Amino acid sequence: MGWEKRARGGLYYTRSRKINGRVVREYVGTGPLATLAAEMDALDRQRRQEEAEAWRVECECMEALETPIEELCEATEVLAQAALLAAGYHRHNRGEWRKRRGG
Amino acid sequence: MAAKNKDERKATSGDAKGRYERLEEVEGFLMRAHEGDKTVLPALREALDMMPELARKLVDPADQAERTMVQNYAGDDLLVKEAIPRTLKLMREELAGHNPSPLERLLVERVVVSWFQLQYFEGLYAQNMRNLTIPQAEFHQKRIDRAHRRHLSAIRTLAQVRKLLKPGTPQVAHINIGERQINTTNVT
Repeated sequence: MGWEKRARGGLYYTRSRKINGRVVREYVGTGPLATLAAEMDALDRQRRQEEAEAWRVECECMEALETPIEELCEATEVLAQAALLAAGYHRHNRGEWRKRRGG
Repeated sequence: MAAKNKDERKATSGDAKGRYERLEEVEGFLMRAHEGDKTVLPALREALDMMPELARKLVDPADQAERTMVQNYAGDDLLVKEAIPRTLKLMREELAGHNPSPLERLLVERVVVSWFQLQYFEGLYAQNMRNLTIPQAEFHQKRIDRAHRRHLSAIRTLAQVRKLLKPGTPQVAHINIGERQINTTNVT
């Protein structure tokens, strides 16, 4: 996306975008209309960057909330299994817990 | 991927490092015990005796996450900010029952905190769903699904431990179906 310098002089505003995986260049034009299109594109780009940044921050915050609870869950699962094993139970075919014979 | 995250988390704090070393030790005993190695049982029992200290180390970060969620959930609403911790406390007391063991207390904590996290993620999604792109909505949905699985697993483990280690204890569980919460009590 940007201004192209032409051999005869003058600047030509173009946009590049991906359509079906191919980069297609769109020739917008010259003069005040092209300047306006360039400004609008810049604003649009800035808005998308801000949205992406806000989303990134939100994801990080959610991750920070999820991690300690996930750790608590993992750890309590280990401890529960440990308690059951210590009490003489074993896991039958990775399914239900059964008391060991004579245990 | 999960292993990579676990490694990164390990490196973040010394306290967490100690916690992981202890848990990995217990996990090692578990694997050997699952294979029928009875010699690990004394060590396993010793590890379980460490539980009050282990519990504090595990619950503190989860407690911090809970406080942050309450803060975000309530925003400026002081009534909600006051009401949520009371609701959670009541849930903890109801689920723990009389004279809970340290393991039960830890499992109850897990049930309550995973329930609140599920409510939090669902609330956040409902609040923002109109402004989300399809990939963002999918991201939220996956997070909600994970929270839901964690909560169900927490209930299952608590019920299992009570049934096998404390037979005769009333089995209390709450199940969320849509927006309704159903409390079930079953004396075994």
